[in-house]
This record gives sequence, C-alpha cells and structure tokens, in this order.
Amino acid sequence: MKVSQIAGFLGSGKTTAVMKIVDELMKRGHRIAIVVNDVGEINVDAKFIESHGLKAKEIAGGCICCQIAGTFSETLAKLHDSYDPEIVIVEPSGVAIPWGLKRAAEYSEAKADMVIEHAPVITLVDATRIDLLVKAVKRLVETQIREADVCFVNKVDAASPADIAKTEQMIKEMNPKVEIAHMSSETGLGINYACDIIVDRISPRYDEAVEEERLKKQYMG
Amino acid sequence: MADMTHIERVMAGLTGEKGDRLPVYPIACGVNRKLIGNGITYREWAHDPKMYAQGFIEGQKKYNYDLCVGLMDLSVMAGDLGAHVRMDEQNTPFVDVPIINNPEDYEKLQVPDVKKGRSAVLIEGTKLYCDYLKDKVITAGFVEGPLLALTQTAGAERVFMDMFTNPSAVHKALETMTAFDVELTKGFGTTGCAGLCWDYLWGNYSCLGDAEYEEFEGCKKYAMGLNELTLKEGMAVAIHNCADLPHLDTQITKFKASIYSMAYYPLIPGSMSAAEVIAGGYTDKCLVGGNLDPQLFIRASVEKITQMTKDLCQEVKTALCKRGLDSPKYCIASGCEVPPDINTKIENIQAMVETGKKYGVMN
Repeated sequence: MKVSQIAGFLGSGKTTAVMKIVDELMKRGHRIAIVVNDVGEINVDAKFIESHGLKAKEIAGGCICCQIAGTFSETLAKLHDSYDPEIVIVEPSGVAIPWGLKRAAEYSEAKADMVIEHAPVITLVDATRIDLLVKAVKRLVETQIREADVCFVNKVDAASPADIAKTEQMIKEMNPKVEIAHMSSETGLGINYACDIIVDRISPRYDEAVEEERLKKQYMG
Repeated sequence: MADMTHIERVMAGLTGEKGDRLPVYPIACGVNRKLIGNGITYREWAHDPKMYAQGFIEGQKKYNYDLCVGLMDLSVMAGDLGAHVRMDEQNTPFVDVPIINNPEDYEKLQVPDVKKGRSAVLIEGTKLYCDYLKDKVITAGFVEGPLLALTQTAGAERVFMDMFTNPSAVHKALETMTAFDVELTKGFGTTGCAGLCWDYLWGNYSCLGDAEYEEFEGCKKYAMGLNELTLKEGMAVAIHNCADLPHLDTQITKFKASIYSMAYYPLIPGSMSAAEVIAGGYTDKCLVGGNLDPQLFIRASVEKITQMTKDLCQEVKTALCKRGLDSPKYCIASGCEVPPDINTKIENIQAMVETGKKYGVMN
C-alpha cells in the first residue's frame, strides 16, 4: 500500500488540491483512500466522499512518536483490511513532521499483512500569503519544506510574479535539493503532474533512511 | 558497590552522589492496563481512578523499575474544557472536535472544576498509586502545560497562526489554561507524589524560537509561575518534552527541572543524542531520561530492543565517564510513552528493563 503525504500549513490549499488529485487518480483507475489529520482546517466534504466512493478516516493531533502513532497506524491497517486501497492520500496537519508520519505509517505493517511504500512527500506553499507565513509560522513551514521531496508553489493563479519568485527563493534556501513545481488548485494547473509523482515515484522508508542518515544529508543540501 | 533501592538510586542521580547503576524507566502508562485483566478498554482505564492506579501498581510489580510517572493521555484538559474527545476501545483518546472556531472563542474558555471530569480521575488515581508505591519508588503526577492544553483544545495550526494574527486572544486563553493548571497543581499537591511532570511539548525549535516560546509559555505568568507553584506545593519539577529540537537551555537551566525526559530523532540534524546531552552539561543540572524509540516496543524483536538498550547504556556510561560524573545522572528510558497500543509487546518492556539493569551498572 502506498502512502502519499500532501503537507502544507493551514490555508495552503491542501483540501482543494487533495480533492482534485483524488479525482484525477480515480479517473486513471486507481483505488484511493483519504486519511485526514483534523488538527486544523481540513474537513473533507462528505458529499465528495459519497459521490466518489472513497474511504476517509480521520486521525487527530497529538504526539506522533507515541500516542497518535497508534491511531494513525491502526487507521491504515483497517483501511487495508476493509478496502485495500492502492494509494492512501494523507493530509497531515501543518504541525506534523513528515518523517514522523512515515515512521508511523510503517508501524502499521505490524497490524496488517502489507508492506508500506511512500510516495514523495509533497508540500504545498501558499504564494499569496508568503509574507504572513514567514512572519507567523516560519519554523513550521521550514520543517515541512525541508522534509519535502517536491514543493508545489500553490495558488499561482492568484499570486503576483514577485510573490511566486519570493516563494521559490525561500523554498530553495530552505531545501536546495527539493524539486519545485507550480500548482493552482482552482485552475487545475499542476494536478496531473502531482498525480504522476504520486503514482510513478517512491520516497525512502523511515527505517532505511535512519541507517543512511538520509535526512541529515537532505537538510545539509 | 552494594545494590541500592529504587529511591536511593534515583536520589543519587538527583543529588549527584555515586550510584550503583543507571535508573531504568520505560514510560509505561496506558499499556499497563493490559496487566489489570483481559479486555480492559482504554476508556475504562481513563475513567476509573482505581483502575488507573492499578495499572501503575501492576506495572511496578511486573517490571520493578525505578520510577513511576502517571500519564493518562493529552486530552484530559481539553475534554474537561468541553472539547469532544474520541474514545476508541483500545486507542489513545484524542480531541476530534476542537472548541475554538474564531478568535472570540478563546475568551469564552472557563476553568472547569478539577473535582469533576477526568481531571478528578487523574488526581484521585495519582493519589491511589502514590499511596501504594511511595515507599518503593519516586512517584510523579503528569500534567499538560498551558500551551499544549490550548493546542489540544483549539487545534495546533490555529493557535500557531493566531499567535501572530491575534496574540491578545491567545494570551487570554493561556491565562485561563494557566489558571486551570494552577488548580490541577494544587490537586496534585494533595496526592503525595514526589514530583509533578509537566508536558511542555511546544518548547521546540521546529515550532517556536526563544522569543516566541518565552512570550507564549516560558515566562513567569505561565510555565515559570507554574514551576514555582509546583515547588511550593511540595513537589519537584519534572519536565517531559519529546520534541525533535527541545529548548533545553530554557527548560532545564531556566526552569530548574529536577528530571528531564526527552526523545532522540536520529534523522533530524540538531536532535541531541544521549552522549551529546551529557557532553553539553545538561546532566550536570538534572537527571535526564531518554531516549529509546518508543516504537521499538511494538515493532522490534526482543533481540533488537535488548541490543538498543545495551548500546544506550554503553553510550551513557562512556559519556558520563568523559564528563567526570560517577553519579547515575541519566535514566535509561523511552523517549516518550511506550505506545499504549494493544499490540505493544510486554516482553519488549521486560527486555528493556532487564537489559538496562544489567548493562547500566556503574563501573
């Protein structure tokens, strides 16, 4: 079962992006589930779920290394046993650590007969609010950018060229090796590309990454 | 050196005296409900003070470790404030419906009566296990710090954004949370616990810098005041912070913690290993506990957790020796709570404790 994290801070456009990505993946014939981390704004439209026949499960914020890890892994194991999705789209909270969620996902292997693969960690950064994000929650945004495999500058249809350039520059400074792409959840720009990334690519497992000190290398560029 | 009692050993670590071996404590709390009897649900355990206490008593009997800290879960305060807490049969309870929906809601929070709700269960249950265990081990209660309690109540992303966009509203809510914590601290002061362990999770450089942490938790009107009250109520200050990049200088040095419990994230640059914590002088100031990965208790084999515990003992003893310390200033512990998951392996807890006792002997 493949787990795909689509990260981003409150208001980054995660929900809209996730729905469009799920729509496209289903059109392509994939069996999809969604796991919502409802610490913040996320509230997947029940009608969307119903009309698409998706399985949505909720998890909630807490301490990912111990308490909430159990709930998250239990959720994944139950999804596997009841629905057997090919891809589980996870919307982590803006305060979640992507590598922590990877680890918690792998821990579901002890509860169901499956092997977890990870799609590249996608982080959305809202180009229209870049100044506010940097002032208000820079450290949290930085964590999510540093731990991303691909960063999408989101809402490019509504942002000025200067803000888009500023957002790209900030991303490069925080994670020089990350791939940067553009997205507009409203117009659909970037959705197909995000789906290609989720389906075709693999991101390292936590347990392998520990051995290779992979994140340290990632942070250091 | 002759074998010490649990209390003598931990006191040696606290006072800097020589000790026979490193203290050992897996933070086994909710998982111990499995020792009470078959089929005990988390809900039952977290609502009945007798059952809650019995878990810790049975854990002590079975594993014979050096400390006892009474963590229930991190939704106790939020639940008593009115947030909806989801209680699955065997999962950790958590808030699934926060009660802050706009900045005005912060001001509506009111301190609940700690003699009711799960606050009362926590305090009464703590008294029961302290009565039973206080002559055997150092005991501590466990309480959420004001900022953690607020993020559990309101949703963390909202609080972090509102710290910038509506700071006065957040401060108003933190004043209420602190007043709630004052009542809880006074309640714990009646239980006979030797220490009170504060969860100050957001003292984390991944989330807040020094200035923001000082403004929203570290200052006198919040955490510093609560730490002083803890001492005044006759309890030592213990702190748990399983963050990836904890504010050690604030939480150990400035807060004057007696015991500090922390985790280690090998993937995160800057996350400090046990050896680095000791070399950095933090064990000169308090008894530090850490840092085995809690997920080892579910996922690892007995052989693997045994090896990891043995490696940690060696790392700690070597680092203490380099620092010139012959006191057991580092407790072999899990970096966070042993997962209270139904699948957590009891034999792994046993293996960790036995290995820590065997290889933690001070030369």
